[in-house]
Amino acid sequence: MKQVVVQPERCVGCMQCMPACATVHSRTGQLYTAVMETPLPKPRVHVGAGLTGEGFPNRCRHCDPAPCMMACLPGAIFRDGKFDTVLIDPDKCINCASCAMTCPFGVIRYHLDTFAPPGKTVAVKCDNCIVRQENGQVPACVEACMSGALTFEEPSVAMKRKTDAVTRSVSAGMEKEAQPPGFVLLNAVRKSQVELRTAKIEALNR
Amino acid sequence: MKYLILGNGVAGVTAAETIRQFDPAGDITMIGDESFPPYSRPMISLLLEGSISSDKLPIRSSGFYDEFKIQPVLGHRVTGIDIANRTVTTGRATYGFDKLLIATGADPRPVKTDGLTLGNISYMRTQAHVRTMLEGLDGARRALVLGGGLVGFKAAYGLLRRGLDVTMLIRSGYPLSMQVDREAGMMIRDELVRHGLDVRVDLEALAFEGNGTVEAALLSDGSRLPCDMVVIGKGVLPALSFVPHDRIKIDLGIVVDAHMETSVSGIFAAGDVAEYVDIARNTPWVNAIWPEAVSQGRIAGTNMAGRRVAYRGSLSRNVIRIFDMDIMAGGVVNPPPDALYKTTVYKNPQRKIYRKLVFQGDALVGMVMVNDIEQGGVLLSTIQSRTPLTIPREALIDLGLNYGRLLWRSVAVV
Repeated sequence: MKQVVVQPERCVGCMQCMPACATVHSRTGQLYTAVMETPLPKPRVHVGAGLTGEGFPNRCRHCDPAPCMMACLPGAIFRDGKFDTVLIDPDKCINCASCAMTCPFGVIRYHLDTFAPPGKTVAVKCDNCIVRQENGQVPACVEACMSGALTFEEPSVAMKRKTDAVTRSVSAGMEKEAQPPGFVLLNAVRKSQVELRTAKIEALNR
Repeated sequence: MKYLILGNGVAGVTAAETIRQFDPAGDITMIGDESFPPYSRPMISLLLEGSISSDKLPIRSSGFYDEFKIQPVLGHRVTGIDIANRTVTTGRATYGFDKLLIATGADPRPVKTDGLTLGNISYMRTQAHVRTMLEGLDGARRALVLGGGLVGFKAAYGLLRRGLDVTMLIRSGYPLSMQVDREAGMMIRDELVRHGLDVRVDLEALAFEGNGTVEAALLSDGSRLPCDMVVIGKGVLPALSFVPHDRIKIDLGIVVDAHMETSVSGIFAAGDVAEYVDIARNTPWVNAIWPEAVSQGRIAGTNMAGRRVAYRGSLSRNVIRIFDMDIMAGGVVNPPPDALYKTTVYKNPQRKIYRKLVFQGDALVGMVMVNDIEQGGVLLSTIQSRTPLTIPREALIDLGLNYGRLLWRSVAVV
């Protein structure tokens, strides 16, 4: 079964996955009108800033077993068998944040939401765009991603691609695969600044 | 295979589901002393507060026992285990077992105070306790809460939200002294006081007075505090009076190994009654919290069904929302003054944000967060996995913390 696969090293930090996600989780479904809705639709994927300003697209992994599902006090978190997706029932949610306490990835947010009872702050996280998948569409974040950091494929296909890339990288005589131009320069200065600072702190800590 | 589970709480329920997942045919019997179907114990404080109704408490559907082919025996308390014959007795009946799970939880630590039998004085551990409290709520004006730990704290908060005047007697200078450090504790205390809580330090209730129901408490400083409701939250003790101490190793709780097995083969323990190593403290400990009961129940059930999996140890952790303040804390939050521990602090007073991280070498062993708590799980899971943290501490503590930062230097471009 196809799943969303994340290759964080390909993320350029454009953050287009975020408004795309928020828009498909709005009442009107269009960006122009979504930004005017109350409550304001919010993304379920979160591009975190790394130490050098690089992007990291952080979304729910739909873990099995899911720590959030085990931690949930009212039993509001459950698994949809058809799409192997972990979902939160906003009606049962009591906003206790036990799920955030247990999520190793920090992907759960708490806010008012289009799909929650009005006025009720609830836990919100990625739902694998099940509604879109039912309609034969790919998840919104994947559709928005132009750099290939988010793809929708069979995990075995993605893993084979990675295995091949690792193999090539250690094969004698193979040329190093060219990266898209500019990628190396991206954050290069900040990277070296952080490296220098870290080396200095480590030396002091010793 | 005959599986017998003592306890109808989340540890027992999770163990039963896990066993059934691996063993579709085995006999599973669950004995619980409470008559209610399995419910969320932490949520009883919400019942007291009035933010939920009692129908929100059950954690499984009404058809749970049938669906998982479990024989429930509710409303009966276990009185003894006969290890040689592999039976358990409730005084009413005897049950045999091949594999036994002791998941009887913990009971409120009793206090010895005169007048304890007066009406409207209660512990707060069970749904029954809270239902009784709710009956006495009508006409109650002034509540006294003994204890500033999790139970006392939640009771005080719930009663404040119900509009009562509340006085809380605590031993330390601030509530939740086992969960948070002084700085966070004082922020919590100030928030509660701001909302009307009367906090008194270093006072004990020596006796309760009243005519049928409680009317006042006599305190250790000689004063007399009028009150018409009392909640006692002085901690819990593992419920193991029925366990043969000479055969099954007991410390504070029932001692188990990494497979949640006791010193007797085939007998397991999980949840508030069990004691295993605490990951952050690196010493045997009882961490009587909900997520531990679930994890331990799951591991116990897996091992009982014949799959040998190991538990890495427990971790104390709590998350609380009160009024406009959120707190998340876990692990060693008050390290001893030892060069082994290094502490990093971040404060943002305008946004009322406070963070503290406690390290032992490269590993995080404790954390406290006041407000902006959403990323707390990222930190707590590094404590559980004992991941050495190789990024600058400032990157771990500031408000831009996110999972991606942990991968710095680990994400190879291939």
